[in-house]
Amino acid sequence: MAQNKKILDLRNIYTYFYTESGVVEALDGVSFDVNYGEPVGIVGESGCGKTVTAHSTLRILPKNGKTVAGEIIYKGVNLLDLPDLQMRRIRGKEIAMIFQDPMTSLNPIFKVSDQMTEVIALHRRCDKKEALEIAIETLDLVGISEAEKRITDYPHQFSGGMRQRILIARALALQPSLLIADEPTTALDVTIQAQVLEIIKEMQQKLGLAMMLITHNLGVVAETTKRVHIFYGGRVVESGPTDDIFLDPKHPYTYALFESIPSLEKDKTRLETIPGNVPRLINPPKGCRFHPRCKYATEICSRVRPPEFKFGKGRRVACHHFEELDLHIDMESIRESRKAVKEEA
Amino acid sequence: MTSLEEYETIDLFSNWDQKTQSILTLDNLKKWFPVSQQSILFSRVVANIKAVDGVNLFLNKGETLGLVGESGCGKSTTARVAVKLEEPTEGSVYFKGIDIFQPMSREEELAVKRQLQMVFQDPYSSLNPRRMVLDLIKEPFDIHYPDMLYEEKESRVLEILAKVGLEDYHALRYPHEFSGGQRQRLGIARSLAIHPEVILLDEPVSALDVSVQAQILNLLHDLQKDFDLTFMFIAHDLSVIKHVSDRVAVMYLGKIMEMCPTGELFRKTAHPYSVSLLSAIPRPDPRIKMDRIILEGDVPSAINPPTGCPFHPRCYKAQEICSKVTPELEEIEPHHYVSCHFPEI
Repeated sequence: MAQNKKILDLRNIYTYFYTESGVVEALDGVSFDVNYGEPVGIVGESGCGKTVTAHSTLRILPKNGKTVAGEIIYKGVNLLDLPDLQMRRIRGKEIAMIFQDPMTSLNPIFKVSDQMTEVIALHRRCDKKEALEIAIETLDLVGISEAEKRITDYPHQFSGGMRQRILIARALALQPSLLIADEPTTALDVTIQAQVLEIIKEMQQKLGLAMMLITHNLGVVAETTKRVHIFYGGRVVESGPTDDIFLDPKHPYTYALFESIPSLEKDKTRLETIPGNVPRLINPPKGCRFHPRCKYATEICSRVRPPEFKFGKGRRVACHHFEELDLHIDMESIRESRKAVKEEA
Repeated sequence: MTSLEEYETIDLFSNWDQKTQSILTLDNLKKWFPVSQQSILFSRVVANIKAVDGVNLFLNKGETLGLVGESGCGKSTTARVAVKLEEPTEGSVYFKGIDIFQPMSREEELAVKRQLQMVFQDPYSSLNPRRMVLDLIKEPFDIHYPDMLYEEKESRVLEILAKVGLEDYHALRYPHEFSGGQRQRLGIARSLAIHPEVILLDEPVSALDVSVQAQILNLLHDLQKDFDLTFMFIAHDLSVIKHVSDRVAVMYLGKIMEMCPTGELFRKTAHPYSVSLLSAIPRPDPRIKMDRIILEGDVPSAINPPTGCPFHPRCYKAQEICSKVTPELEEIEPHHYVSCHFPEI
């Protein structure tokens, strides 16, 4: 039964890019899964392999990129073995994707109606008239008012938040089972971000979608997902239930990441920083890829790739020293500062 | 090394009293950009983009004022006018009691600009890619202190590089050889070189990854202490604003909605727009459950802003008067300024 819960199961994915300056090891043995109807977060800084994971899954890597090893099991089928024609039926119909930039994901010279009905007619095998009805219906669903009038507008007549809604509607109109949202709110303002996140959450629950939410915003992940996978340097360093990881991170990188964001709850004059920069993945550090920036690194970290340790309720962490480290988020000070705030109010 | 003050030739600010006067004051500042329609021979102005529409702000010596707002609300334009990169349509800017837009000689103008500097948002496009770091950072000295010896300029460049956490050998490199975080350090070094008193930082960390963002925020904090600087910090991320600033000004559609000490904004939020803005931030803590106020619609166009209070079409408290009478920025409690007919406190 445990096997059937998984809609998507990535096993030991290696994706390389072949460039003039060398081989970029963008994904280096990435394994994780997404269950049916479950929102899962993928978190990491730029260049850590979040987007490459999504592109590998859908097999839409650029020409110089290749998934050289591993298995991507979607509903029991390995996507890497599928012939191209069948893969095209998976894209959109089974696994839909929303891209980061709503400004460039819509073609500026076609009406929204054309861009929506084309995909709908193709994948749901209906005629244009029916497709138009479906399109209007889904636009209505994502909160675009007067959808039947506005559908004949061009993309530039919509604001950023509206365009992202259109893209969500276009993705959902095909009734996919899995939605991959790649930084869906990064380009939007906070108040618009709140609107779009609300719609994504609502749709995900209403339609029972499985979702892979890729983001670098820890707040967005905490509010939308049930489980989270933390990426660093092309590897998954920690994964588990969102609440557990946010309250009790085990990997030094996860901990440092949480401590380095300014928080509305904490009052601190200095932030914890992670020295150095995100590693380049041509010639990445040996052993644990985080070791050159890690406070707790020892000799073994620079030599041996840390295995994944399993513990607790479905938690995994890739660190040699996770058992010895005591990385509690300073809950006491947070609680106190919050109490002080309440008292003053 | 001799202090830069010895090079100062004119004494422009002798009348300024640090104890009673703010260091930078924007008085009913307006900046409208004309939208013109071109006919064969003539062009005529058909509308105005009211980017900044009556902003009143002041900065006290040694503090950090956070200016927060959504994209397009006029934050950057305000800063650009305040450092004399743009001429205001109406209103004035006083720096140490002197109206910087009054007619003045070249020497006087340079004297003002020596003390009033800006750091730009995008560290990639604000540095000339063809010039070496040494030349880039030497340029302010060439302009402001043409009589300074080359050797002294050079040693001052190295000194300032060390201050922002870069090494001597970085002086001989070109901008493309640096990472985003290092480039932002260069931008800071460039504005800091001639020891200004006030620096306007326009989204200095929004293009950076979180771990690097923390490094830059800490650096700015240290520099402010070392050089006794006054900052105006522009950002759209409220948690960053809360972390860095002593006072906060919230901007919406070219107007200041609320201005108060940072703690007050979070404890005694007065303006309905600030309330909704605060509630829209996703919190990276799974235990916080928020009653979120989701604003409807988008920010209206600055070409044709709503009459009365610019926020009234989206406001949950709006009444008839809000669409007719523009509320003035008033001090409702000591140091707490709000422009709203029905503030929350």
